Amino acid sequence: MPIAIQLDRASKRYRTGRSRTVVDLIASSLNGLRGKADEVHSTSRGKISSTIHALKDVSFEVPEGAGLGIIGRNGAGKTTLLKLISRVTWPTSGKVRVAGHVVSLIELGAGFHPELTGRENVYLGAGLFGLTRKEIDRQFDAIVHFADVERLIDTPMKRYSSGLYARLGFAVAVHSRPDIVLVDEVLSVGDAAFRRRALEALRGLIADGKTVLFISHDMWNVRRLCSQILWMEEGTVRAHGPAGEIAERYMNEVNLQALANQETSLQSHRGGTGEVRFESVELLDQSMTPATTFTDADTLVVRGKYHAATPVARPVFQVAIVDVDTGVIVTTATSVRADIPATVSGAGTIEMRFGRLPLRPRQYVLRLSITDAHQLGSYDEIVAGPRFAVTGSGGGVDSLADEQDGLVSVPCEMRHTGAGATA
Amino acid sequence: MTRTLTDKPVRMAPAAYLELLMNLTRREVKGRYSQSLFGAGWAIAQPLAMMAVFTLVFSRLAAMPSDGAPYPLFAFAALVPWFFFSNSVNSGTMSLITYRNIVTKTYFPREIVPLAQVGSRLVDLAAASGLFVLLMIYYQAEVGRWLALAPLFVLLLLLFTLGVTLATSALNVFYRDVNPVVQIGLQLWLYLTPVAYPLSAVSPQYRPLFLLNPLTGVIEGLRAVVVFNRAPDWQVVGISSAIILVLLVSSAILFKRFDKYFADVI
Repeated sequence: MPIAIQLDRASKRYRTGRSRTVVDLIASSLNGLRGKADEVHSTSRGKISSTIHALKDVSFEVPEGAGLGIIGRNGAGKTTLLKLISRVTWPTSGKVRVAGHVVSLIELGAGFHPELTGRENVYLGAGLFGLTRKEIDRQFDAIVHFADVERLIDTPMKRYSSGLYARLGFAVAVHSRPDIVLVDEVLSVGDAAFRRRALEALRGLIADGKTVLFISHDMWNVRRLCSQILWMEEGTVRAHGPAGEIAERYMNEVNLQALANQETSLQSHRGGTGEVRFESVELLDQSMTPATTFTDADTLVVRGKYHAATPVARPVFQVAIVDVDTGVIVTTATSVRADIPATVSGAGTIEMRFGRLPLRPRQYVLRLSITDAHQLGSYDEIVAGPRFAVTGSGGGVDSLADEQDGLVSVPCEMRHTGAGATA
Repeated sequence: MTRTLTDKPVRMAPAAYLELLMNLTRREVKGRYSQSLFGAGWAIAQPLAMMAVFTLVFSRLAAMPSDGAPYPLFAFAALVPWFFFSNSVNSGTMSLITYRNIVTKTYFPREIVPLAQVGSRLVDLAAASGLFVLLMIYYQAEVGRWLALAPLFVLLLLLFTLGVTLATSALNVFYRDVNPVVQIGLQLWLYLTPVAYPLSAVSPQYRPLFLLNPLTGVIEGLRAVVVFNRAPDWQVVGISSAIILVLLVSSAILFKRFDKYFADVI
């Protein structure tokens, strides 16, 4: 397989701090005359000419027709990497070699002008990607159709919504006969339908043998699109390998870090009238020890200690497991159980036990509430309760299953009857 | 298309390059005159207003000679190329900063940005030239064969403007001081160029200094062929052309050498 992108010990340094002024120039040349270094320090005015390494000795190759996901925390050097590949900027040292026509979607519709119509901007934007008028003519209908802007194509783009703006920008980019497409987080704009279509289009490009580099924090989209993942950390390559493996390692680490930082207070987003309130909420594993990380085969016990300031009749305790991105996944309430006394007063404890957690590996938030018997009024509401993470190491669940493939995994036995032969 | 690994920038097809330049030029023109009642009329208003002021101050009050031509015609013939030059340099100097959005986000030949600024002023130049024709009819100016040389001077004007704009736009990316220097410089330059007065009114001891200014050759030459219908001073034109060519080549080299770093420092 021919190589589409090759980085060979590529580094990028930027100068930070305030910029040089004439005073600094004079000072540094005086220092130079006296044989001192070219650094000018001044406590009152801040240091100048300090450098940051945005990328340090980065080497990797991407074969033609591959989808490479680039993940990592903010500031890890992901965007700098794309800028080097797109030739927007050049490496301080090392080589960046690219084969073919690169189209970068670092920002959708960056070349558009709000005073021009959609039609004029299509020609302007595609022109920035190196297309001639004839080539754009041929693609024009496809672009407009893809962006779904037929109605507004002769309207100045300042009348467009931001979603529409991005849609047209994306449409222009993918129709600019690219060999290599660089995508930087741009799918976070626009509605869900467009996101799906954009992802389909990128998939189509890969199927056609184009190379796609895809920066995203959304692990499902990365998994959906990319066979390989490059994990960047502080300007270096932390890991590079099969998407499933790297994504899982990354998610586990991110989840653990997030849990380590979580605040234990339940006071944020607190609602309810207050006759009964949770005093503490604990997460326990099957051995009844506090835990924040669970495999999908583990048991999760939620133990809530409450206090009723006044006697309350038939309270209903409710716990929901919430996925931050997709919403409530599981809700369970004590109204369906019988072991709650008719009236509670003073302190008490409620325990809810989830026997297994057939959930995708990622972070979840508990939402807890205490309501009246008809679940009309609420005494207490904790919108953002304790968090926990599910890791994929328990087996049995396709750990990074597609969002479209469902949110939970239900055990299922399969049988086949009928004619046939074993191979 | 064969695809080979390379660490060199990819060249744009000439047709695509030209069309991108046209499109960016159009974007500039449209952006400048859309949502304005008077539209492209403003392109004419600027030299026209200056012509009125010059006529009042220099011709009426100071009795400035105009080599026998009607003074308004004499001044306007120089103000049109002058404003083309000064407006181009003015907006061209800041152009890479104004376009930081695309300069820092997509790769394309960067010189297209300042070139489009100059290109967009060609539209103003054409509009003002149209008005100049009307003035010539009004003053019943003599039209003759020397008029055929006018395109040569417009070309020299264009090349000089490109040379200056390429250099100031590139330098301004690194040092924003360039812009204020250019602003002040342009104001002084107008009076150091034979716009309000003919070169013949300059005392001989300062003439060599005036010849170092390529706009002297361009504006004097243009005025000779369109207002006076006479041969330009070829010696002056020659010196100006030589300076213009050297400047343009060095500016282009400077620009291409530094354009790799634009996205890092903007």
